[in-house]
Amino acid sequence: MKPLNVLIISLLCAAIAFTAPASAGPADITVVSSSLDPPVLMKGDTGTLTVVVQNTGAETVAIRSARLYGSGVVPLNEPYPSVGELGAGNSKTFTFTVRADGGEGTFYPTFVLDFRDGAGNLRYPVPVQVENTPLSASVIQKPDAFAESRTADITVRVGNPRPNAASGVQVVPQGSGFTVTPTGGFIGSLAPDASGTVTFNLTPTAETDVTFQVVWRNGINTHTADLVLPVAFGEDKKQADPVITNVEVTPIAGGYRIVGDVMNAGLESARSVVISPGSPATPIDPFRVYVVGTLDPDDISSFEVTFKVNGTVTEIPVVVEYRDDDGNRYTASMPVGLGGTAAPLEEQQEDGGFPIVGLLVLVLVALGVAGAIYYSWKRT
Amino acid sequence: MDTGFLRVLLDPGRFFEARMQEKPSLKIPALIALVIGLIGAVSTVPMADITMAMLPADMQGLGVIMMVISAGVAFVGGLLAWVICGFVLYLVSMIFKGQGDLERTMEFTGYGLIPQIFGGIIGTYFSYQLLSGLNIPPMTNPEQMVEFSENLVTILTTDPLAQIAGLVSILFIIWSANIWIFGMKYARNLSTRDAVLTVGIPVGLYILSRLITLAGWL
Repeated sequence: MKPLNVLIISLLCAAIAFTAPASAGPADITVVSSSLDPPVLMKGDTGTLTVVVQNTGAETVAIRSARLYGSGVVPLNEPYPSVGELGAGNSKTFTFTVRADGGEGTFYPTFVLDFRDGAGNLRYPVPVQVENTPLSASVIQKPDAFAESRTADITVRVGNPRPNAASGVQVVPQGSGFTVTPTGGFIGSLAPDASGTVTFNLTPTAETDVTFQVVWRNGINTHTADLVLPVAFGEDKKQADPVITNVEVTPIAGGYRIVGDVMNAGLESARSVVISPGSPATPIDPFRVYVVGTLDPDDISSFEVTFKVNGTVTEIPVVVEYRDDDGNRYTASMPVGLGGTAAPLEEQQEDGGFPIVGLLVLVLVALGVAGAIYYSWKRT
Repeated sequence: MDTGFLRVLLDPGRFFEARMQEKPSLKIPALIALVIGLIGAVSTVPMADITMAMLPADMQGLGVIMMVISAGVAFVGGLLAWVICGFVLYLVSMIFKGQGDLERTMEFTGYGLIPQIFGGIIGTYFSYQLLSGLNIPPMTNPEQMVEFSENLVTILTTDPLAQIAGLVSILFIIWSANIWIFGMKYARNLSTRDAVLTVGIPVGLYILSRLITLAGWL
């Protein structure tokens, strides 16, 4: 044999010796399974990688250490510096804590078993998937317009577009300038491509932004996603709309009387409707205010208010106060001109609006006349 | 006090009985009617003030003329009321075969108007009370003035004080009627029953009409 052929064969044997499969060392050690919890990591997540090896041979194999290394997904510790022997037919589980430090994609950290006595090692690349897609949240129901202190139903839907399940999903409204019930909504676990909804009763006190923060866990890692809902006040297209018509102003003793009709031209009921004369008018008896009650859409009711004004006031507002179904108070006013109809007398009555002095004069005159008549007939 | 005003008011029977002994005289009754007219003229002042306030500056002269006319009408109204009352009582007493001349009837009717002096004074007081507190809005056209005037009538007919004034005036009319009963008894030589009917029928009808109007207010 030529020396060159001997060299080639020797190098080939050496290469085979270095690159032989794991089983080639202690021939029968194999990786039977590997798993990751959570199954899909997000960047920065910490997970648990579990590798199970089994001795399928007939002899005990001595293992010096187990390691995991790689880039993108890195082990946080080395828990197996010394393993020991693995008997024939036995299996052993190796668990590593890993963290996804890289970007998105599939990473292959390598699981390495070192055998004793120069028997080589076992290398096994474990696939780890990293995907940063967060849960998605959307508002699926809200009023056409918000109004101050008016409670609105807000429904938030949370969907899971991730390839693995999300656990502990909840929605927490955050911000200022509003009150909300409930203060948080719990959905729980969301399977891939599943969704859940939460409804909040939101009562804004000022124009603001409401942030619905979606909180969930991926394994032991907590993540959040924000959904911002701008709350701007506007006119509700369905809200009650009291309209005053058929107004008639009549001067009365001590002031004026306004009679008219109030109609609900809106699409929602106006509750606890109360009508009163506004400033600069001063309400007087008998109708300081007029309580109409509930006005359903297209309902109409008559009203009557009495008031007095000072000086040369030619116009006063008629104020309509009402509430919606949630008890929120609204006010609408309509100017009513007094104009040339004005001819009120100033308050001359005392004690409940009756002229006491006049009544006293009447009684005295009656007594005097009766006495004079009685006396005149008595003298005849 | 035999012929004094107080006797007319409190003891008209004796007063008229004594007057029958003398010749009829219309001087004092006319004076009473003039006083009533004068009070009536004074009572128009508050309303005249309102009228003046309603009118624009360039029509103030017209307002003065209207004020003088209304005062004059009210003044003459006292005399007119006396004459009308006298004639009515004279005519009604004819139904009961009353005997006596018209001059005596007019004289006694005039004395019977004395309570109206007090009624006029109190009525004027009420009128001032009613109208002095009136707010007169600025008016720029005749339509507003007409509307204002109509509303003023509404106020004056619905105010409790106006209703009380109406009742007070009825009381004084009753007092006058009581005096007229005695007056007609002597002036027309009627029995007490006939004198009561002579006065009671026209005065009762008048009071009834006033009460109907008042009931409409209430």
